[in-house]
Amino acid sequence: MTFLAPGFLFASLAVAAGIVALHFIVTRQPRAALLPTARFVPDTPATTVARARRPSDLLLMFLRVLLVIAAGAGMAKPMLTARRGAHARVILVDVSRSARDTIAIRDSVRAIYRNGDAVVLFDSSTRVVTGNISSGIDSLRPTLRRGNLSAALIAAVRAGSSLRERADSVELVLVSPFAKEELDAATDTIRKQWPGRARLVRVAAPSVDTAAVGKLEINTDANDPLRVAVTSAGQRGTGNGQQATGNRQRETGNALIDRGTTQPLQTVTPSREGGALIEWPASTRPRFAVPRAVKDTVGGVMAGEAGVVASFERTWSYPPDSLRGGEVIARWVDGEPAAIEKPDGPGCVRSVAIPVTPVGDLVIRTEFVRLVASLSRPCAGITSLIPADPAVVAKLEGKGGLAPRAAFQPVTDTRSDLAPWLFALALAAAIAELFVRQLGKNAKTSRELRPPSRKARAA
Amino acid sequence: MAIESYDEYAALLDAVRGIRWPARSAVRGGIPGAHTSRLRGISAEFTEYRPYRQGDDTRRIDWKLFARSDRAYNRLSNDRAILPTMIVLDASASMAFPVATNGKWKLAAQLGVGLGAVARNSGDPVGLVVAGEEPLLLAPRMRRSVTHEIIRAVSGARPSGNTPLSPSVSIASQSGGRVVIVTDFLGDAEELLTVASRLVAAGREVHAVHVIAREEIDPSGEAAMVFDPEAADVRRALTTDTRDQYLAAYGEWRDRIAHEFTEAGVVYSTAIVGAETPDHLIRRITAPRGMSATA
Repeated sequence: MTFLAPGFLFASLAVAAGIVALHFIVTRQPRAALLPTARFVPDTPATTVARARRPSDLLLMFLRVLLVIAAGAGMAKPMLTARRGAHARVILVDVSRSARDTIAIRDSVRAIYRNGDAVVLFDSSTRVVTGNISSGIDSLRPTLRRGNLSAALIAAVRAGSSLRERADSVELVLVSPFAKEELDAATDTIRKQWPGRARLVRVAAPSVDTAAVGKLEINTDANDPLRVAVTSAGQRGTGNGQQATGNRQRETGNALIDRGTTQPLQTVTPSREGGALIEWPASTRPRFAVPRAVKDTVGGVMAGEAGVVASFERTWSYPPDSLRGGEVIARWVDGEPAAIEKPDGPGCVRSVAIPVTPVGDLVIRTEFVRLVASLSRPCAGITSLIPADPAVVAKLEGKGGLAPRAAFQPVTDTRSDLAPWLFALALAAAIAELFVRQLGKNAKTSRELRPPSRKARAA
Repeated sequence: MAIESYDEYAALLDAVRGIRWPARSAVRGGIPGAHTSRLRGISAEFTEYRPYRQGDDTRRIDWKLFARSDRAYNRLSNDRAILPTMIVLDASASMAFPVATNGKWKLAAQLGVGLGAVARNSGDPVGLVVAGEEPLLLAPRMRRSVTHEIIRAVSGARPSGNTPLSPSVSIASQSGGRVVIVTDFLGDAEELLTVASRLVAAGREVHAVHVIAREEIDPSGEAAMVFDPEAADVRRALTTDTRDQYLAAYGEWRDRIAHEFTEAGVVYSTAIVGAETPDHLIRRITAPRGMSATA
C-alpha cells in the first residue's frame, strides 16, 4: 500500500500522539469535602489539572485516535498497488478525423498494449481508457474532431504519473497518422515535458501533400466590397492562382461565398462536389448564428494564420449548440467564434458572421485578403489528411532512454478506493465519540448531584 | 457521633462545680434567689431610706426614725431573685463538623451541660432547647436532676437539617430571663440578631456563644470541592487560588457577627473547638461584667 499524500498521514499520527498525551493530563474536579462555611469560598470553575499515570477514558481516547488516524489516512489517499514492473507504456491513440483507418489503429494498439499500460485516446480532447481496456480498444472509432497532439502529450505526462508506482520506467507510444493539423506551435515544447524518448507508430491513412480549392467564387451584387477581397484571395490561394509544389496536390472543388444578396448563380452546391459553401450574408442572419442580445464592437478577428485588426460591429453570435458536429474556423479577439464549419457530404458548409463594411480600406488590406483566403480554404475533411512534416514528426521521437519513474510527479488527485471507507470509519468514530462523551457527561452529572456518601464525607 | 455517656461529662461537672454565674444586671423580681433584683423589698438587708410618699405602704415607714426626726421615711432593702436560664443549642447539620469528630456539636453539648450545671449551682432554674430537625424543649427547672435531663437530651440529639434557630430562641425567651445561644451562626444569623436585640431591649440577658471548628478557620491546603451540608446547591472549589479569598471572607464575616451582636447588647463569646477546655470556656462565659476574657 502506498499513500499519494503521506503528509496527511504523518500529520494525523502527530495529532493522535497529542490526543494520547492529553489523555494523560486529566482535568477533573477535586475530591468532595464537607465544609459548613463553603458559602465563603468564591464561586469559580472547579477543575484541577493533573498528570495521570494511566490514560483516562480509554474508550474515548481510542475513538478519538481512530477518528484522527482514519481521517488522516483517508486524506493521504492510500492506494493498493500491484507489484512494480520493469516498464509500462503510455499509449496515445489518435482517434481524430485524421485517423480514418480504424482497423490499422486497433491493430497497432493491440500489438503494443500490455497489461498495466495506460491508453489515452485523443482528438481535440483526451480520454483515458479505464476499465476493460481490451474492449475499449475494440470499440475505437474516429471522431470528426481535429486531433490535438499537444493536449495528448499533456495527458501522456499525467498518465505517466499514474504509472509511476507500477513501473520503473515508462515508455511513450504515439499511434497516429501524424497529420499536419494535429501539430501546433506548442507541440514541440510540450513534447519536451516527457522525460524520455517516444515510440512513434504511424498508421496508414489516405493522405495528400497539399490541398487547394479549385476556384473561389462569390455570389453577390456588383457593389459588394467583399468582391474585391475575394478577387484578390482567389488570385493568391486558390488552385488557379497557386502553384502546387507536391506530387499529390489535391484540388478539392470550388469554394463559393454566398452573400445572400442575389439569387444563387449555381444550381449545384459546391459542398456536394467536395468544395466549400461559405455562407457570409451581407446583412441577414448567418446560418447557425443567433442575434446577439447587445450589439458590440470588437477590435479584431483571426482565422488560421490570418488576423485582421479593425473595428467590427458584432451582430450575431454562435450559441454552443451550433458548434455541435462542426468546428470554429475564425474567432474574434475575445475568443468568441466568428465563423464555423460543418461537414456537408464530401464538402463542407461554412457560416461567417464577420461584417464587411464598405467604408475604409478594409477589403483591400492584405490581412483581410488573407482572412478571406483562410475562410475559403479547403474543407477540414481534406486538410486533415495532409501529413505533418517528417522532420517535425521525427522531433516527436526524442532522444535518450525510457522515462524513469522518478521523473514523474506523484499523482495527488487520483481517487483512492480506500479513502471513502476510511472517511466513513472516521465519521462512525466521531459519532461514537459523541455518544460516549455524552454518556460520560450524564453519568458525571448524576454523580455530582448525588450527595457524597458517609464514607466520602469521612474521607 | 452522639454523646451517650454521662461519664463523659463527669470531669466537666467537677470542674465547674465552684463556678457561680451572677446576673449581669439586676433581675426582675420573683422567686427569691441569688441575684440582685430590681425590686426593693423588705428583706433584712438594709439599703437606704426614702422619704415617704403618698401611696407608700405605711408598714415600711421606719417609726423609730420618724420618732427621732419627726419625718416619715420608708426603709428600703434589696430584693434577691432567681434568673431562669434557657440554653439554646443549635443542632443544625453545620454543627456536625468535623465529620470525623463531630467537634462542634460535642463542644456545644459540653457548653450546654456545663452552663446548665453552673446556672443550677447558682440556684437558677435551667431549661434547654435543642433546635434541630427534631426540636426538644426542657422547661426551666431547679431540681437537682435537671443536669442529668440536659445530658440525656443532648446525648439523644443528632445535628441535622437546616432548621432556623431564631424561633427556638423566641420560645426559650418566654420562660428564661437569661438566654444562652450556642451556635455557629451559619443559619439564620440575621433573624437571630433581630430576636436577640429584641430580648436585650426587653431586659433579658442574652449570651451568644459562637462555635467554630479549627478546620473552618484554617481549612486543609489540599484542593477540594467543598459543599455546604445545609445548602445542597452550594458547591465551591477550595483551591490554593480561592483559599485566601475564603479566609478573608470568613474572617470578615466573623468580625461582623461579633460586632453586630456585641452592639446589640448580647454577650458574645467565641468557642473554638480544641482551642481551650470547656470549663475554661464556661468560666469565661460566666464571668461577671468587666471580668470576662475575650476570646
